Amino acid sequence: MNEITFDNNWEQLGTYPIITEHDIVKVRQLVRHHAKDFRMGIVEQTRITTAVSELFRNMYNYAGGGKVLIERGDVEGKNALIVTCIDEGPGIEDIDLAMSDGYTSGQGMGYGLPGTKRLVDRFEIKSEKDKGTVVRVMKWR
Amino acid sequence: MNLDLHEKRIPIIKIRDFLIVSIQVDMHDKLAIQLQSQILEEIERTGAKGVLIDISVLEMVDSFIGRMLSGMASMAAIMDAAVVIVGMQPAVAITLVELGLEMPGVDTALNMEKGIEMLEQRLANSEFL
Amino acid sequence: MAETIVFEKAKERIEHIEDVLSSVAAGDLDVRIEAEIEDDLTGVEEAINILIEDLTYELKQSKKMREELEEKLSKIEEQQKTIMRQQDDLLELSSPVTKVWDNILILPVIGTLDSQRAQIMMENLLQKIVDTGCTMSILDITGVPTVDTQVANHLLKTVTSARLLGADCIISGISPAIAQTIVHLGIDLSVIRTKATLQDAMIYAMRKNKLLVDGKIKSENISETEESE
Repeated sequence: MNEITFDNNWEQLGTYPIITEHDIVKVRQLVRHHAKDFRMGIVEQTRITTAVSELFRNMYNYAGGGKVLIERGDVEGKNALIVTCIDEGPGIEDIDLAMSDGYTSGQGMGYGLPGTKRLVDRFEIKSEKDKGTVVRVMKWR
Repeated sequence: MNLDLHEKRIPIIKIRDFLIVSIQVDMHDKLAIQLQSQILEEIERTGAKGVLIDISVLEMVDSFIGRMLSGMASMAAIMDAAVVIVGMQPAVAITLVELGLEMPGVDTALNMEKGIEMLEQRLANSEFL
Repeated sequence: MAETIVFEKAKERIEHIEDVLSSVAAGDLDVRIEAEIEDDLTGVEEAINILIEDLTYELKQSKKMREELEEKLSKIEEQQKTIMRQQDDLLELSSPVTKVWDNILILPVIGTLDSQRAQIMMENLLQKIVDTGCTMSILDITGVPTVDTQVANHLLKTVTSARLLGADCIISGISPAIAQTIVHLGIDLSVIRTKATLQDAMIYAMRKNKLLVDGKIKSENISETEESE
């Protein structure tokens, strides 16, 4: 698994806590606002907003909250909107399982990660039991 | 003015045999569940046979809201009321499909007019049962 | 008696030759050997001068060629950009969604269907469905010989999304190759309605439409049809 690093030369667009449910709504609206600034079309805006909504809700529901970094960076020659979600929750025990489609079918329980991954251009995840989880998504189109 | 969002209620209007719910705000999970209960209570209180949920203003429906809407349809059906979701935006439809939330068994209509037609049709058909 | 070759100021002149050769090696082509004295060494001095002249000429030619090539290259890049822009325009134009009859939309697709085009088509069709309120749409791919799995997925996504909106999308004109691709994807085929030809799809749509129109309690639709006649 690729390491998620934090010492990139990316432009900081904001750091926001996710503590209450209102934060989820507020920050995902901010993400949509940034997506608009990136001149993304409506469908792409909706994709990234929905994707981060899933991630924020995971942090809120499973990790007691966390924080969100919104950045702009050059990734593979493209102007990318980068959203990183960091929490210090219980971590995901089996990432491979969480990333498999079967895990989220049925009642729709689970973290919704496979669906989220389909909505973005790049998806990175790192998690350690009892230490926390970091999920980074990028969108450039 | 400081609005406590937990107390914000989404208005439900009754027209003939139907309830019309127009979702105008970006909902968080609690509000969505609150709405679900509200609608079921109204169905019971008014004896409504159909519910039209207008989501034409919603720019995003994530998996929780999607499951709330499906759940809504099932619960209302148990109470002998049909639910029709109207006005979904194309970007929302695409994203729901990509999320893997295709909401089978949930009736949808392009707009309020068609939604009402659908409910009236259903009522007319059920009278023969 | 052996001829004695005498060079006047031999040491100086040889050093001068070495200096000039060093300068040339370092890139300075403006230097020449000044041959003042006529003797046997003069031949060498003049030969070296001629060599430097030839070198200068060759380098100039080479530079000129390089400049011409670079100019050609940037022209080609410009042309490529224009072609890409025109392709985008074509993408927009080549998949027009047309309303035919009351409540039926048709999207005829011709030519190669790549992922990007399929995505645009899907968004256009869904938006047109919402804008016109048409509940029946036909995606005709008679003009498309093959699709890859990504595009096949886009087509299915289009049908499913249309259904989510409250409309129907029929796919017509599926070639045998595309039929194979779709089946290999392992998709639940009960979710898509397909017709062999555009004609079949139209007949199906019109029949279904008539049912909707006739079964309607309100008479708005009937008066709309009269207006359009």
